[in-house]
Amino acid sequence: MARNKYDVDEVLEDNFDAGQLKRLVTYISPYKNKMLGIVFLMLSSSALTMLVPIFLQRIMDFCIPQKDMHTIFIYCVMTFFIACYAALSLALKIRTMSVVGQNIVHDLRADLFEHLQELPFSYYDSRPHGKIQVRVVNYVNSLSDLLSNGIVNTFTDLCNLFFIIIFMLIEDVKLTLVCLCGLPLLALVIVFIKKKQRRAWQIQSNKQSNLNAYIAESINGIRVTQSFVREGENAVIFNRLSNDTRSAWMRAQKYSFTMQPSVDVISSLTTSFVYVLGVRMILAPDATLTAGILIAFTAYISRFWAPINTLASFYNSLLTAMSYLERIFETIDEPVRVKDAPDAVPMPPIYGKVEFENVSFSYEEGHKILKEVNFIAEKGVTYAIVGPTGAGKSTIVNLLARFYNVDSGRILVDGVDISKVTLHSLRSQMGIMMQDSFIFSGTIMDNIRYGNMEATDEEVILAAKTVCAHDFIMELENGYHTEVNERGTRLSVGQRQLISFARAILADPKILILDEATSSIDTETEILLQKGLNRLLEGRTSFIIAHRLSTIKNADCIMYVDKGDILEKGTHDALMEMRGEYYKLYMSQYEFLKG
Amino acid sequence: MASLKWFYSFLRKYRFYMLGGLGMTTLIVVLSMVNPQISGMIVDDVIHGGETKKLLPLVGLMLLTTAFISILRYCHQIIYEKASQGVLYDMRNRVYRKLLQEDFQFYNRKRTGDLMSRQTGDMDAIRHFVAYTIYVSYQYALYFIFALTMIFTINTKLAWAMLTVLPFTLLNTFLQSQKIRPAFKRNRECFSALNAFVQENISGNRVVRAFAKEEFEVCKFAVENDNYRSAQIAASRVWMRFLPVYEILAYALNIILMLYGGYLSIKGEITLGNLVTVNGYLWMLNSPLRMIGWRINEIINFMTSLEKIYTTYKEEPKVKTPPKGLKKKRLEGAVEFRNVSYRADEEDIVMNIDFKVEPGQTVGIIGATGSGKTTIMNLLCRFYDVSAGQVLIDGTDVRNMNLYNLRDNIGMAMQEVFLFSDTIEGNIAYGRPNCSFEEVKKAAVMADANHFIQEMPEGYDTIVGERGVGLSGGQKQRISLARALLKNPSILILDDTTSAVDMETESYIQKQLKNINNLCTIFVIAYRISSVKDADIILVMDGGHIIERGTHEELLQKGGYYAKTFYNQYGEVPEEISAQKGGNGYGKK
Repeated sequence: MARNKYDVDEVLEDNFDAGQLKRLVTYISPYKNKMLGIVFLMLSSSALTMLVPIFLQRIMDFCIPQKDMHTIFIYCVMTFFIACYAALSLALKIRTMSVVGQNIVHDLRADLFEHLQELPFSYYDSRPHGKIQVRVVNYVNSLSDLLSNGIVNTFTDLCNLFFIIIFMLIEDVKLTLVCLCGLPLLALVIVFIKKKQRRAWQIQSNKQSNLNAYIAESINGIRVTQSFVREGENAVIFNRLSNDTRSAWMRAQKYSFTMQPSVDVISSLTTSFVYVLGVRMILAPDATLTAGILIAFTAYISRFWAPINTLASFYNSLLTAMSYLERIFETIDEPVRVKDAPDAVPMPPIYGKVEFENVSFSYEEGHKILKEVNFIAEKGVTYAIVGPTGAGKSTIVNLLARFYNVDSGRILVDGVDISKVTLHSLRSQMGIMMQDSFIFSGTIMDNIRYGNMEATDEEVILAAKTVCAHDFIMELENGYHTEVNERGTRLSVGQRQLISFARAILADPKILILDEATSSIDTETEILLQKGLNRLLEGRTSFIIAHRLSTIKNADCIMYVDKGDILEKGTHDALMEMRGEYYKLYMSQYEFLKG
Repeated sequence: MASLKWFYSFLRKYRFYMLGGLGMTTLIVVLSMVNPQISGMIVDDVIHGGETKKLLPLVGLMLLTTAFISILRYCHQIIYEKASQGVLYDMRNRVYRKLLQEDFQFYNRKRTGDLMSRQTGDMDAIRHFVAYTIYVSYQYALYFIFALTMIFTINTKLAWAMLTVLPFTLLNTFLQSQKIRPAFKRNRECFSALNAFVQENISGNRVVRAFAKEEFEVCKFAVENDNYRSAQIAASRVWMRFLPVYEILAYALNIILMLYGGYLSIKGEITLGNLVTVNGYLWMLNSPLRMIGWRINEIINFMTSLEKIYTTYKEEPKVKTPPKGLKKKRLEGAVEFRNVSYRADEEDIVMNIDFKVEPGQTVGIIGATGSGKTTIMNLLCRFYDVSAGQVLIDGTDVRNMNLYNLRDNIGMAMQEVFLFSDTIEGNIAYGRPNCSFEEVKKAAVMADANHFIQEMPEGYDTIVGERGVGLSGGQKQRISLARALLKNPSILILDDTTSAVDMETESYIQKQLKNINNLCTIFVIAYRISSVKDADIILVMDGGHIIERGTHEELLQKGGYYAKTFYNQYGEVPEEISAQKGGNGYGKK
């Protein structure tokens, strides 16, 4: 399995293309009316504010020579109203656009997160978690301004540009064309650096992702780091990653920063041309241009370049954003391999019979974990799965819960092929307890209730009592309302296992899977636990993977798994009779008594 | 304020960059006044005056200044960016180093996602401030001051009149910064909460799948996502109230010019030409006014983030290495607990722990879940400090030893195995990154891990996922054991290290441990009798106390907790074994 680690850049399968841009539009389009409204508002406001210099012109041309304070006053009042209009439209723009921008990233983030919930273990197993996280939080965040104000400003600027070009054309066509000549020049610059700039931002986002992954891992693995006195080494690695981010950022910015100077130089060049050409036209024997028009025209030129300048900076942000967007879309596009079939039906209430029919499975091509496994498990029977580590014990139960799809063969529950039913209806009827007992941050009550949201406090406590967790929980300062964090550090591993156990039981599963779920629980507690369980397990089919043989012995049926197949199956006594692999395994525990 | 001082300690290193940059900014501001002058001259002298000869030199000059400005602009942006990246780099590294020093208590309280936010989102606010806000604010302040000075030279009365907007602006600025602060604070908190939630969801993805709680997670996420959105929108609602005021104040300048300038002009105190000149400077006065609101936002945002980073940074670990702690290349491994108690969160975790171990001895610790076994080991490694009593190694209190030297001598395979997303080799060599492959392999062989590692397609180069996902519990435990063994420690701690391996493997590992070349004190915490049976001394723990101690035989004789556990686990010993043993009383009494 090709896995990624913190200092390996992720490869990008699909580059950003028009299709992805179109997708982006689907997130924006619900707000297009609002955006259009704001564009109109901004245009009207900028049209109105254009009046202000004209007022001043008039004051200077007429009012002052005529000593007409009254008219000046009227112009001032009008300016005041224009100012109010401008202020109001600004307020409206801020109000609307922050909502729009936040809504867009909210939707995008929600889609991304929802998709992540459907992705299988293997997705999470194959890359550092920090790299997934940076997409959901940081990358999405960085888009909000671009996708709201950025777009509105761009449209406003484009409209402004359009009007200015019209004004310029009215004044003089030839000079306008000279001015417009600057645009292809600018385009040339953009095309010239685009590829490198894109690449530079992609590298930057990769480095950022690497750094993030390392931070996450450092925090989660701090105990190991401190116990192995790796602080120095880790700080060096962190410095390196941090430096990589810095250089990548600087490199990318070096490209981005060329944009504004280019616009400046090109605008200056065209302005010069206009002057030279304009003066020539004035002086030409058949003068096609008057001095007045030329002066007016040069006034437009600066107005012509102002929106282009902001468009250029929008383009810069867009390029930056694309390197984030493509990562976001890449995640959303990650195929969901284990998913409901199109015609999937809900699993009817499970009775409890499980069948494996010629089931084969491999995590990687050519590396078979299970080979044609066959067995039938009857309702209400407890099965213990034993065998050497890595024999495929966990794989069997993982397939039963359909965490992975089988390569060939079928798994039937009550005669229903599990690939034909919805995942939710299947898994919600199973109680699965895995090796890692993950505790969410929150109260212990919440953690147990995770198994069944509708459970009352009494039911939660009952479940805790069943698994012998009640006593130690009551000893904590706030009992069931004690806050624990996600690393669950104030609880011992065994206590965490008991809590996850209670969680599994609360779900009232018809099929119970315990994958080394009690390895860190002391024997005495385990015996008490089993007494409680025996009552509970009645009528439920259960699969128990364990190494402690006292746990296994009590099972109704034991399956010995090795080399991808079930080699032996039967009760403890029957298997001991057989004197096969199980016998050897069982006897090995007494090996030490021989001294 | 302390946080700003702290911030300056980072900026100081780049102050010459910043000063150089600000010098360039000044030059740009000055030069940007040149081109309008040239345009004016072209219009006046060339177009109106017909001095065509002047045209080309003027145009040339204009191009030259533009080129010069462009170069300057590029350079100063790069300089600010360099300074800001430098500050960021130093600050991130400093905070990271501090995080590495923080003790377990600190991590017990903090959520990973929160700590990550300090290093990502909050750092970004610092970056933006140094790279952008500082110079843009300076640039506009320059414009403002320059234009104002020019207007003062033209007409003092008009200049004073225009200055009347300043108090209003300052008032608005003050109010905005007051009101926006809580909004940004909430904003950062929501960001942190969102980050923490996502982080947990990703870490706990297996549980989410197993309980088919995807929809529930999506709903919970929606809450955080909504909260963050509304915090952002709420912040924008705040600045929505202030930014338009600046807009009106900017227009007030136009009105003052028209009204008062017009009045002065009519009275003959100012010429029309002067009015035109003042009008030319007006944008330099009102664009800073329009900008100021946004800059205030950025500054407050910067301060909020800085405060958050600094608060995390300044938390001092309680467990610190003493200034002149004992350093010894290799400890002997004599361990003594003298009446040790440890209390946390108002709860007694262990009490009156008292035992002594000679170098090279093996200690087995067995006992109920949550009875304090791991805590004792955490105290030995000084992950926590004792509340009472003393932990001594080679007769020295661990609190008087150099912390890193102490931990360097202890190899610990933790109960909950954490592997890094690295190759298997990298994981085993975690404690000794520079050791040879042979040594790694040797450690793996001792931990009975070599076999399964070699069966993997890429062997020791196989990259394992974070927390070792993709490996079975037993495989993870064996890698973790190899990792601890490779340190060649004086004290080896095996905390429930073989709970997920089968019996045969366990007995193989036990044999290997006996062959450790150097003298090594071993602590074995386990639930299985087989794991501790051969220990020189076995401690039985319950409720934070040592309730029984002795060898396997002694404890069996005692008939207490240990003996009970033994019979629970082994029940009746099969006849053939007890027969081999000579029927010496292993059967149930």
